[in-house]
Amino acid sequence: MADRRSEAVWGKLAAHAATRGGRVSVVDVCAVAGERAQVTGAWVAASTNGQPDFVMCVTDLVCEQLAELQLTLGEGPGIDVLASAAPVLASDLGDAESVRRWPAFAPEARELGAEAVFAFPLMAGAIRAGVMGLYRGSAGSLPDGLLGDLLILADIATLMLLDAADSDADRGAGTSLEGQTPDLALHRAQIDQATGMLTVQLAVSAAEAFARLRAYAYSQDRRLADVAGDIVARRLRLHPDLRQDGDP
Amino acid sequence: MDTYLLSNTFVDLADTLVADFDVIDFLHMLTDRSVALLSASAAGVTLADPRGELRLAASSNEAAGLLELFQLQNDQGPCLDCFRTGQPVTAADLTGPAQQWPRFAMAATEAGFRRVEALPMRLRDQVIGALNLFRVDPAPFDPAELRIGQALADVATIGLLHERNVRRTETVAEQLQRALNSRVVIEQAKGKLAERLGMDMDQAFGLLRDYARNSNQRLTDVAANFVNSATADFPPPPRPRPAQSRN
Repeated sequence: MADRRSEAVWGKLAAHAATRGGRVSVVDVCAVAGERAQVTGAWVAASTNGQPDFVMCVTDLVCEQLAELQLTLGEGPGIDVLASAAPVLASDLGDAESVRRWPAFAPEARELGAEAVFAFPLMAGAIRAGVMGLYRGSAGSLPDGLLGDLLILADIATLMLLDAADSDADRGAGTSLEGQTPDLALHRAQIDQATGMLTVQLAVSAAEAFARLRAYAYSQDRRLADVAGDIVARRLRLHPDLRQDGDP
Repeated sequence: MDTYLLSNTFVDLADTLVADFDVIDFLHMLTDRSVALLSASAAGVTLADPRGELRLAASSNEAAGLLELFQLQNDQGPCLDCFRTGQPVTAADLTGPAQQWPRFAMAATEAGFRRVEALPMRLRDQVIGALNLFRVDPAPFDPAELRIGQALADVATIGLLHERNVRRTETVAEQLQRALNSRVVIEQAKGKLAERLGMDMDQAFGLLRDYARNSNQRLTDVAANFVNSATADFPPPPRPRPAQSRN
């Protein structure tokens, strides 16, 4: 049932990209997340040195200011979210809890026009890719039942950031998945185990290992979970040199 | 029932709850004790991900067949029904004809199980997951055992929601996501360690957990440090815990 929900979310992204006339990207994630959550704005920032310091897209100027403000002050939901490994949902920046938690950020964010900020970690286990942020000009919780869609959008944004980073690393043609419909059946223990195994087989970071696993599955036109199962069962090894991928 | 083990279990669980504990390690201990106390052959805790999926947080063993059974229950099975109704659900006589969940029954039988009980983890009117008990013997669980099982499911709920001194406004959803991500970190670490030392996933988990306990660190922290370590050496070189903005 989760796969169907993921597919529905992907369908919305694809529709948005089509009206824009481009391939699905984090721009569409921001737009769709903002619309679905009925908030004022949305942004996605990639994490480079443990902080979400590379803003990839914003839907308005306030988003950019909020992202920068948190980096400058070193506090805010978007900073907490990666250490916390969970969404940080600040539905009222004027309440005592928010002021106690972010004494500098909360009042300044409100001056910028944000009364509520919701931050989602872009992560997969120990892999930290960035942050997806939402803000609203009025206080209040997210609409009921919407958290699942936002978590799926965050998963998709995570894949996009990891793929982009992997292509930037220039580790050979054929590993990029940019613009392709991702295999969204991500939550299987064997995928995580295979990612861990590949960090050793390929001597790369977990982020790169995960990107290589996905690229291999895509290049073989196989499901991610099936390829992961073969790696965990030690029927398949990947090699630092792509041409040697195959049997153990 | 072993009353000495029973009282010890609740003492141990309570001890864990007052310490700075790791939620996955805690749930894993709970599934181990469920097996020991309740004449179950295996046990697992599944959590409801708001993405619309039931995900395994901890199980008493990591046999692939058992993991498959949890995954399969996203489509059908006692765990899914328990989550939907908030009531205990029994799958009895899994080898008989006219199965309520035919695919689940076949997979469970293949894995050697004849009876399954799913006990709800409830927080007021919300069901956040289930404690699943698997039995090789098709005989029903003793009603007294099931009452203890439900008490253990309730303790699992408390443990999950009280991990770290939870901020007042932190939602259940935030805590569930943290627990689910911890599980992913641990799976990644198991894979890295299994590959490095040529062992199976169950052995890798045991090594990670023993090291965390002996070095007085949280299992998830050990796992994350190892996954993010530039080398595959285990244990990873010590590293200060990341600065936390939480209080």
